[in-house]
Order: sequence, then structure tokens, then C-alpha cells
Amino acid sequence: MFTTGSKLFFGATALSVAGAIVFAITTGGPTGLMGTIGLLSLASIFGFLGGINYFNSDGNVPAMQQGVQFTASAAQPPVGSSMWPLVSAVGIGGLVVGAVSKPVVFKVSVVVVLVATIEWMVQGWSERASADGGYNAGVRKRIAHPLEFPIVGTLGLGVVVYAFSRIMLTVSKEATPWIFLVIGTIIAVGAFMFTGKRKISRSTLLGVCTIGAVALLGAGVASAVQGQRTIKEHETTVDSALCLEGGIEAEIDDHGSQDVSAKSNVIANIFLESNNDLNARIAGFTDPEDNFSTITVPRSTDVRIRFHNESNSPQRLTARLGTFGEESEVVMCTTAINPGKEAILTLLIPKTNAASSTPMELQVPGVEGQTIAIVVP
Amino acid sequence: MEQSKKMVNRFVARRHLLLAVGVGVLSAGCAKNAPQDIFQPEGKNARLIDGIQRELFYISAVVGLIVFAAVGYAVWKFKDRGQEIPEQTHGNPKLEILLTILPAIILAVVAVPSVAAVFELDKKDNDCVINVTGQQWWWEYDYVQGSTCGGVEITKSIVTTSELVIPADTDVLLRITSRDVIHSYWIPRLNGKRDAVPGRLHTLRMQADQPGIYTGQCTEFCGLSHARMRQAAVALTTADFQTWVTNQTADYVAPAAGSLAAVGEGTFQAQCSKCHQINDLFTADGTPVLAAPDLYVVSGAAPNLSKLMTRTAIAGWTFDLISAECRDKLWNAAPEDFGALYLKGVTPECFDEATLRTWLRNSPAMKPMYADPAKLAATGGKTRGMPNLNLTEDQIDELVAYLTERK
Repeated sequence: MFTTGSKLFFGATALSVAGAIVFAITTGGPTGLMGTIGLLSLASIFGFLGGINYFNSDGNVPAMQQGVQFTASAAQPPVGSSMWPLVSAVGIGGLVVGAVSKPVVFKVSVVVVLVATIEWMVQGWSERASADGGYNAGVRKRIAHPLEFPIVGTLGLGVVVYAFSRIMLTVSKEATPWIFLVIGTIIAVGAFMFTGKRKISRSTLLGVCTIGAVALLGAGVASAVQGQRTIKEHETTVDSALCLEGGIEAEIDDHGSQDVSAKSNVIANIFLESNNDLNARIAGFTDPEDNFSTITVPRSTDVRIRFHNESNSPQRLTARLGTFGEESEVVMCTTAINPGKEAILTLLIPKTNAASSTPMELQVPGVEGQTIAIVVP
Repeated sequence: MEQSKKMVNRFVARRHLLLAVGVGVLSAGCAKNAPQDIFQPEGKNARLIDGIQRELFYISAVVGLIVFAAVGYAVWKFKDRGQEIPEQTHGNPKLEILLTILPAIILAVVAVPSVAAVFELDKKDNDCVINVTGQQWWWEYDYVQGSTCGGVEITKSIVTTSELVIPADTDVLLRITSRDVIHSYWIPRLNGKRDAVPGRLHTLRMQADQPGIYTGQCTEFCGLSHARMRQAAVALTTADFQTWVTNQTADYVAPAAGSLAAVGEGTFQAQCSKCHQINDLFTADGTPVLAAPDLYVVSGAAPNLSKLMTRTAIAGWTFDLISAECRDKLWNAAPEDFGALYLKGVTPECFDEATLRTWLRNSPAMKPMYADPAKLAATGGKTRGMPNLNLTEDQIDELVAYLTERK
């Protein structure tokens, strides 16, 4: 006769073997092989543990003492009802639904089944660890809390962050700092008040936290339903016709260089001066008089240049990056930017100048006779 | 008694062994012939770092000695000799305040020169700017066309590999990036290290006091042959640097018609020019020979071989092109003699032909690279490093004859 503990492990062994067979048949290839080996390894581990448990009669009764495994505390029926069978059933139902509908349902159900199985196992074991209910509750805490607290904490934090992010993405850009300020102030003042009190009742603290959580969750759900505000994508390139012929977009984007990371990494700054002269100032040469008509760019790696429009009208910077073989000329440009503004352009040039049948250069459409040569050694 | 004697002997033997290990470890730190020794700075940036670390070491040593002495005294004084356990007390505000303030003061004192050094190292008023690009497993340098470097005009783009040639006693700014994974550029005797990150441009200042060769090593694990990704900075006098620039920008010299080298030119075009560029090389019908490493190599680049024989090593500066004797002579040359010796390049008497031949015969056998055609599915057939071209011995003869003239 199998002992209670060994039944669990032998069941897990059978499940792992069945899983390995299904996985091998349905997946195939190197992934299938790896998965099958993994599941068979799991089966052998469970089998080994099951054997140990069986041999030791679950470790709590002498092996040679006949019949005691049926009278020991471990063999007693559960002391109370458990919600985990119900949760497991919901999870398995979700697996079936997810398999034929959406992958996300399937993945969430896998997590639900895993959680329910582990909790069920821990509960089943701890309730029969001894005849003492208090001791059983204690061992459950000792085993389960190190797992439960970090997971529940992470999930709670995730919900808070997600709900808060939905709110901030829904309200207007101007309102976000104010909301942040108000919520931060409420939390800081509340915390200050609580710490000032010598004693605070558990119910008060719980009530405040519940109200806060419900408010945040409610606002988060409402924001998610409403959807996020329109967030403008900052274009750095547009179609080649506009690059070569010039022209202004319907709405000028003056924030194309707001990426601090990009701005700190430019290989050269290109200035369209007020007299329409085009000059390059190369990163590393700090003398403002060091104006170059050539920039040297390493091949096959991303390099950034920053265009400064110091002229009196909206302008864009166009990069003509060569013509290779039968392909058409490679052209890219910034969007048009207003006077006094800047835009970043990222170049990736895989071949040298010599490989191009047309010059590689930077220019401003409509500004004649002003070019910066691009040298790709 | 006998047992006790044995134990004493064993204890003494262990103490001697520990002492021998300690002496060995200490003496290992005293190596004189250590070209990558950070404690022998040869430029003002490295000297600044060295100064800071020495100051910190002395301060740390004093603090360490005080702590060890205090702990040792406490251990000796309060050793369990069977005496009664003294009264246990908790909290000593005066002592605790002292032990908080004292380290804070020490850290504040240490911070002053450290922060000043950080800003000093980050200065960007330079006399030369060079682009440095890392890839698996070598470094490429290109000099900014139209600029001056230590007063020498760079009229035409120069692209070279592994040996960074700079004018001595000149502030040189390196603009460092990478084409594939993260690398780290480090010439210990000239400055600290700087990461080369794809898509980013990091700057590092170099300055060498006097002419000479300063070796370095990639210090960020970057794959299979990371340990074989080496580099050197070669400092020359301004006059010698001018000579080097003039040579690097000189026109291509075709091999004499009918020579083995001329045959090698054709072999190079057929076998090597897919990835390696030799500037101003044309086919028989006048078409320029243009390398397209972006089609064959993951990083999109391969070393430019136009002036191969002006460099002293190949394959990420791992294998010498010159004999050990010539290398020792060059490395140990007096600063005033170094330039003339270096500018000779790889002379026939110094040329280590066997190394070049072995490399051409099967390069992945010399330096591990991801170049097995059967294992390149993940990269769309592109290699990381140079593949084995399965050249015949005749082709190797031809290529060696041709490449020997690239100086």
C-alpha cells in the first residue's frame, strides 16, 4: 500500500512521464528533445522521492511498524475545507479555454494551476504534519510565507505601478506633474501623521490602505478603459522627396532631439548659420572657430549628428548617403525644425565613399552651394 | 610527547609554506618587464590616475593598519583564559559619533583629489581627434580628414588597425564606439579604460610623454577570442608622425609586372578583397576593387591592408609580423631612436614570414573565430572573424609576396 507522501510523488512521476510523451509528440526537433529530457528528468526525480517516501513510510513512522501509516497523523483526513481544488479547477478550465482562444489566457491559467497546486500541497501536508493544530499552522507559515510574501508583494507593487502608469498616460501631459505632486504630498503628509501617533489601531491602518488601494485601482481601471492620450512620435526622417526638394510638414516637430542619450553621443554638430552658411563642428575639437566642411564617419556603425537651425526660417538637414550599384540613392533627413531648434539624425553607412557613384554629403534643401562632405574611410 | 612534536612540526611546515606563498605573491607584483603595468605611467592622464591610487593606497594602508592593530589587540587582550565574562554594555554615543565622523572626514579628504582628477581627465581641449571602433576581435582607427593631429595635417582619410599611431606629448582624443558587442579600450600606461558600446560614442584622452610603444588589451569580455583582442599605442615625434602620415596617405604602388607579387595582386582580388580593402586598387579593366565586408562579416568591417607592413602585428595585434629579436629591439629602443626604427616597418630581415603563412593557411586554427560555414545559420552566413579560405600553397606564396610590398 502506498503512503500519503509517496502517492503525491508517484502521481507527479506519472504526470511528468505523460507530459514528456505529449511534449515529444507535439513539439519535435531540438526543443522537443530538450523538453522531453527535462520532463523525464523531473519524472525520475519524483520517482526517486516517491520511493524514499514509500520506503520510510513518509518519514514519520517506523518502516517496520505494520499498519501505523494508516493511523499516523499524516494519514488523517483534511481538517477543513480548502479553496485550492476549486481554484485548480478554474485554472484547468482556463487552460482549455486559453488553448483555443488567447495565449495570454493560457499563460495566466498555467500560473493559476501552479499556484493552486503548490498551495494545495502545502496545505495538505501542513494540516497533517502533527496532531497539534497550532503546530501545523506554524509549519505552514514557515514553509509558505517565504514564497507567498515576495510573490504577493511583487504582484501588489505591480498592480500599483500599472494602475498609476495608466492614470499618468491618460491625463494630459500638463496635469501629470501636478497629480504626481498631489499624490506624493498626500502620502508624505499621511505617513508623517501616522508616525506622529504613539499608537494606531490596526483597523484604521487597514481602512486607510484599503481606501487608497481601491481609489488607485478604480482610477487605474477607469483610465485603462478610457485609453491613453495621443503621444506624438518624434520623427527624425521623412520621405526622400521631401528630403531632396524641401518643404515643411503640416506640423513642425521641434522636439526631435529631446533624447538626452542621443544628444550626448553626437559625432558632429551641423550648424545652418543665420547667413545660411553650413558648418560642421566636430566633437572633440572645442575651438568655436574650428568649422569643418568634412566629417569623417566610421562605416557599419550607428553615428549621430545634431542639426542646429540658426537661420531665420524652418529648415531640415538632408543626408545623401550614396548610390551603390543598381540601387537608388540612399537619402534621409530630419523633419523641418523652427529657427533656434535642434534635431538629431542617426546615420548607418555600410560602405565607403569609393563604393558610391554619387557624393556622400549633408545639405539643407533650398540652400544652394552649402554642403558638408561625409568621408567614410 | 611524540604526538605533540609531530603537531608542532606540521604547524611550522604550514607556516613556512604560507610564508613562501606570501613572498611569491608579493614578488610577482615587482615584475619589471610588465608593459601593461598601471604603476608605470608614461603620460599625464595615467600619471594622474596613478597619483590618486597611490594616495588612496597610503591612506587605506594607515586605516587598515589601525583597524588590524585594534582588532589584534582586542583578540589578544580579551582572549578567553577562563576569566569571568565582563559586564556587557550597549551604546556609547561619543564613540559612535566619533566613528561616524572620522570615516566621513577621511572620505571627504579622499574625494577632493578624486573628483578633481575625474574632471581633469574629462577635459576635451585636444590637438588631435581619432575615431576608434572595436569589433570582434580587433580595433580600427580612422583619422579625421581635414583636421590636424599634433600640428600635422590629415589631408586624406587614414584607416589603420590595432596600432594607434599618435604624436608624442600631444593631447589626443579618442572617440570610441563598437560595431558589434561591448568592448573596452585600455592602454594602461597612458590612461584608464573606456567601454566601446554599439551606438554610443565614448571619449578617452591619450597622451604619451615620449616616443615608444604602449601595449593594451580589450578589457570587456567580448566573445570567443576576447583574450586575443590586443592593441598598442605607438607614439612618435611630430616629425616622425608627419612621415608616418605621409606614408599612410601615399598612393598605391602596384607590383612590378610579371613578378610573383603581381600574381599575388590577382589572388588578393579573387580571395581577399571581398572583405579586406587595399586603397586605390583596380582590376585589369580599371574597375575599383571595393571590399564589402558588410555582406560577409557580422561587424561589417575587416582590417584595411593598404599599409599592412607598416604594422608590427596582425590578427588583433596577437601575432607578430616581426621576429622576436626585432620586436625586443623595437620595444626597448631609446625614445630618440624609436621613431626611425618603427618607421622602417617590417623589413625583410625582421619579417616573420612563417607567422603570416600560418595565418593565411588556416586563420581560425591560430585564433578561434566563429567562421565555420556549417555553423553560421544564426548570422545569415556572416562570420565573426576570418574564415579558413583553404588557400593552396601557391596562392599563399603569391599573397605573401604581394602583401610584403604593402608598406
